[in-house]
Amino acid sequence: MPLKSDKKLTLLWLQGLTCNGNSHSFLNLSYLADVLLACDILYHPSLPSLQTLETISTCKLECDVLIFEGTFDPLMQRNNVMVGKLLRHYAQKARHIIAVGSCASFGGMFKASAPQRNSGLVFNETAHEGPLLQYQEKVINLSGCPIHPEWLGYTLSMILQEKKILVDSLHRPIELYSYLAHHGCTRNEYFEWKVDSKKFGEKEGCLYYEQGCRAPMTHASCNKILWNDVSSKTRSGTPCFGCTEPDFPRANFFRTKTNMSIPDEVPVGISKRSYLTVAGIAKTFHIKRLEEKLIDYKTAD
Amino acid sequence: MITKQLIEQIEGEATVHFTMNGNTVDFATVAFPHFRGMERILQGKNALDALVITPRVCGICGHAHLMASVRALESAYVHMSQDIQLSTKAQMIREFTLLMEIVQNHYKWIYLTLIPELGKLMPLSNMSTPLKGAFAASLASKALASFSGQWPHSSYMLPGGVTCDPTHMERIKAQSYLRELIAFFENETLGIDLETFLSFESCKEIRSLSSDISRIEQSLLSLGMHEKGFAYDRFVVFGNHGFSVPSKMKQTRSYSVKSKYVSIKDSYSPQEKTFAKNALYKNDYYETGPLARAMTNSVPIIRNIHRRFKDSAYSRVVARIFEIASLLQHALELLKLMELSETSLTMPEPIHTLTAEGIGIVEAPRGVLIHKVSIEEGLIRNYEIITPTQWNIGSDTKESLTPVQLAMQGVTQEEALFIFRTFDVCSVCTTH
Ligand code: SF4
Repeated sequence: MPLKSDKKLTLLWLQGLTCNGNSHSFLNLSYLADVLLACDILYHPSLPSLQTLETISTCKLECDVLIFEGTFDPLMQRNNVMVGKLLRHYAQKARHIIAVGSCASFGGMFKASAPQRNSGLVFNETAHEGPLLQYQEKVINLSGCPIHPEWLGYTLSMILQEKKILVDSLHRPIELYSYLAHHGCTRNEYFEWKVDSKKFGEKEGCLYYEQGCRAPMTHASCNKILWNDVSSKTRSGTPCFGCTEPDFPRANFFRTKTNMSIPDEVPVGISKRSYLTVAGIAKTFHIKRLEEKLIDYKTAD
Repeated sequence: MITKQLIEQIEGEATVHFTMNGNTVDFATVAFPHFRGMERILQGKNALDALVITPRVCGICGHAHLMASVRALESAYVHMSQDIQLSTKAQMIREFTLLMEIVQNHYKWIYLTLIPELGKLMPLSNMSTPLKGAFAASLASKALASFSGQWPHSSYMLPGGVTCDPTHMERIKAQSYLRELIAFFENETLGIDLETFLSFESCKEIRSLSSDISRIEQSLLSLGMHEKGFAYDRFVVFGNHGFSVPSKMKQTRSYSVKSKYVSIKDSYSPQEKTFAKNALYKNDYYETGPLARAMTNSVPIIRNIHRRFKDSAYSRVVARIFEIASLLQHALELLKLMELSETSLTMPEPIHTLTAEGIGIVEAPRGVLIHKVSIEEGLIRNYEIITPTQWNIGSDTKESLTPVQLAMQGVTQEEALFIFRTFDVCSVCTTH
């Protein structure tokens, strides 16, 4: 059991402009029951709650952990109360504030609904200009579109167990976001030897060269812990769209931007020159095993 | 006097404004206050980007949006006389993942919406926890993600097929999650095995059980929900799948449907600003969703229930729960028949060669979902989304009530709020 049970944490889950995807993703957490047992839920958009949105919006209560899902739109109201007012009221006393999803972290998908005014809680993409800037010390960003349930499970468990959560410069827990989405992909060997996927819908090849995969530039543990305990985008042939980064959503998701057939962006922390040197060498080899089909159903029987 | 009621714990937020006539509802209007401008966000984007953006319309039925999007793009290719070759394998995988999303939706609806709402109207003993709903939904998502990579928000369908190329290993894993889910459904919800349940032809047989479903059925009866919540007794189904037949139905007679007769109309909501629009067929309102699908599919038990209780709140609820059973069985069948040596995807001409209009229609958990796209040299010129809640939960004047407005008329306010939820409201989809 990952949690201490002596003290219940009061938890409040509010929403800005959202698709509810983070709420639904969280419901998939395998140890959801344990987490819920250790918390008093003041309000959650779909789980049984101690309060109604009507009482929450009177701004007379307080919570230990404030969770916010969705883009912050300064003109938005919940039950006729400005979301900004709700946020500032509950943020003041909360010990921790968790932004779930890229919308709440950086603006994300629904920043585009009103680009001039919408943002995340602390960040507007990477600029420090969100409504909870003054409380930024307490804010943990769990970026992702949506969050992986384990990321919130981890964060709540760490809080319950009174362990310190170390974060990066974008306030993301480093134990979750130091990895790249590329780590653990079943196509890693193709990446190393620069063998691209000829087309979508194949087991073979890497999606970085032509199909738009951003996993080498994206901080996330998707391919380490897997989604729904079973798979990941890249394992099932879909490129990583970089949904945990402040610049999500970008454009042309299924195509790599290239320069003289070399990807424009190279893996995080690797200089373009080193990358080109290694790539140039790797490409000179023709490795039959990597150029063939992994499984040949036609001749196998 | 008009009273306002905030509807919480649906997908998003809604309000209903009631005009009462003594103790009963004379007229009610519905408002959906939040708006994200999805259609505008899509304008000017690479048409393939719709496959990443539209699933984000909705966290609970994003997969249905993905499928509507990919069908819209494929239809645009076909309109440009470019062949789209979908292998049987790709079709089956798409259908399987769509089914699993519907199942997780219905499961959550039973345990996170229906049971708590029933509990507000009457004491419920022995009724189980919301965690049951979450657990079953997570099993469905595992089976789904075995092909789609993840749920929510997968983008694994592309024009011409699917991006995954699974081995039998993934298929067998999905089978084992599905079997676990079926066992859970049998033990925790039905109290009888799936096959016997599917052979039921009358609600008396449901009553003979002792389980969540029989307790739900009993509560509905004792609340008189078989005599309340009637809409127009007109149904519409548009999505073409192995589990649905496109047609419209007036009472029990069915007719063919054409998407060109679908139209959109502004909502009537004098008390509060709303961003929703109503969907109509040949200028009439129709109900869509599980009850409509069961009626047009001639599911014996639902036809029998309908004979006695018409399109009451009771029929609507039972149809949604029964649909889980038939979809689970259909899903098993698909996994058994799936042939994996076929190609996953046949790439059509590059997207920038495409200048055409397309339409994609699917059955989402709550009913008909339509995406219309107009593309110019691979870029989206215009995108239009019509969601199931726009059919069921529109808001119009007293002279032309929408299905939900009609269903709430003549009952108490408390009952009306329950009936409202029997349509399974999705506010985020409605005001996309
Ligand atoms: S497909 Fe993406 S995640 Fe997988 S190896 Fe290639 S770059 Fe890395």
